[in-house]
Amino acid sequence: MTTVDTVAAAAPPRRRRLRMRHPWPFVAALGVLCLSGLLPLLFMTATAFRTQADWDESRVGLPTTFSFDSFARAWTDANIGTYFRNSVIVTGCTVVLTVVCATLAGYGFSKLRWRLSGGVYLFVLCWIAIPPLLLMVPIYVEMVQLGLLDTYGAVIFLYTALNLPFNVYLMTAFFRSVPDELIEAARVDGAGIHRIFFRILVPLSKPALATLVIFNVLWAWNEFLFALLMLQSDSVKTLTVGVLQLQGRFTTDYPALMAGLLITSLPVIVAYLVFQRHLVRGIVAGAVK
Amino acid sequence: MFVAYPFASVVFHSFTRWDGIAPAEWVGFHNFEVLWHDPLFRKSLRNNAIFALSVPIQVVVPLLVAYLIHRRVPGWRFFRSTVFLPAVYATVVIGILTATVLQLDGPLNQALGSVGLSSLQHEWLGSASTSLPVILLVLIWTNFGYNVLLYLAGMSAIDPTLEEAARIDGAGWSRILFSVVTPNLRSVLEIVLVVNTITAFAFMFAYIYTITNGGPGTDTYVSEFYIYQQAFTNQNMGYAAAIGVTLVLIVLAIGIFQIRVLTREKE
Repeated sequence: MTTVDTVAAAAPPRRRRLRMRHPWPFVAALGVLCLSGLLPLLFMTATAFRTQADWDESRVGLPTTFSFDSFARAWTDANIGTYFRNSVIVTGCTVVLTVVCATLAGYGFSKLRWRLSGGVYLFVLCWIAIPPLLLMVPIYVEMVQLGLLDTYGAVIFLYTALNLPFNVYLMTAFFRSVPDELIEAARVDGAGIHRIFFRILVPLSKPALATLVIFNVLWAWNEFLFALLMLQSDSVKTLTVGVLQLQGRFTTDYPALMAGLLITSLPVIVAYLVFQRHLVRGIVAGAVK
Repeated sequence: MFVAYPFASVVFHSFTRWDGIAPAEWVGFHNFEVLWHDPLFRKSLRNNAIFALSVPIQVVVPLLVAYLIHRRVPGWRFFRSTVFLPAVYATVVIGILTATVLQLDGPLNQALGSVGLSSLQHEWLGSASTSLPVILLVLIWTNFGYNVLLYLAGMSAIDPTLEEAARIDGAGWSRILFSVVTPNLRSVLEIVLVVNTITAFAFMFAYIYTITNGGPGTDTYVSEFYIYQQAFTNQNMGYAAAIGVTLVLIVLAIGIFQIRVLTREKE
């Protein structure tokens, strides 16, 4: 990370400017592309505030009245409130569990010396390459056998297990970039491995932790396939699965559906805007090393 | 443990006939023989291959976009933060929105009608000839930003004096991009290539489930959706496991081939 920062700082923006005779067509195309990312948000918001009558009359348009009716219909009648709570619980637990495990494992792989350390690390990394779809069938059966089917536990453990390899990789890479002299100095001063971990490494790794948090929040909140398989009763379904029920078989209450989709999207959009810089940093760390 | 045990289990069960409840019955390579002649599996794989057409686009276009942002064209800060936005929405949200907008009496057809283009009105998701391109487009749109960020990350690690030197020597921007920047991005190119190929073969489920649900008929099936159907609708767990193993072998083979080609070029 530090090298990247210094490189960016060493090159004055003036010099990095693109010299192109006609940049404007490119910039315009880029602008259209980026604005298209906002379109779903606009369409959902506009439609969610319209009434069913508005929708019947015209499919595209701005709201004529201002009310949160469709949000209320989605939140209570269609259970979106419950699904929202479930998504918060599942995402929260997954993030905490993953980040704690990844930090501890990263410490173990980077700064502690033990037999088989290298071998176990490689074994963990192998799982990054396995597409989860392969595990659809056996994981389902395993969850039935463990009696975890249809509980929060099923998806929380699963998400943690699927995400850990990549998280461990990032944390190990980060801890390796912490100079050994720092740890050595603390050890000379009489600090044990726990003290070194909590007093030196954890405070240093705040940016890396932020990266892990945003990655896992986006992933766990948006995950669909395993939520669909594991969570079957309404009381435990997460938003991505629950929101499907707003699509009726014959008639659909479109304003309420859009309200539901908006409720599903807003938390991650806000999380993205807040943690944006850390996300880019994580991708830098993952791509360059 | 949650991942390692199922992995062993799926390989074992791909050699059995099993409904998920009664004990599995060993049938040797029977599942794989059936699979070899299964027209629906071929159709699913063909659809996966169509979605893999996104790969060359995802390798080239995000590279250009990332370079524009990297060289700070006007508005680059705004572009950098919004280009990733499509990847932030849940796939399910994008899928439902696509299905909503493209319905026969949906917003797109109405908009076409009102600007006098009713001849273009179409039942977009009614046949594979339009729904496959639609899904392909959605796939490209959602993953685009991720690739741009990967390239940006790679570019920020390149020594800026290289570009500066090329510029002083009189190289134009396209020359700098393709002769100076791109050769230094080999590891990122590898990641982009492999990740997008894997996505087209193994992460299509949510798109298919929400946009067409495999339909009309079975025309937009992808392998992953087929596994889901066989396992949870038809209770053919053993057969589903065999499809899974075959698919992963195919994906691994493609991935290894791509990396081999890239590393050979380096030498």
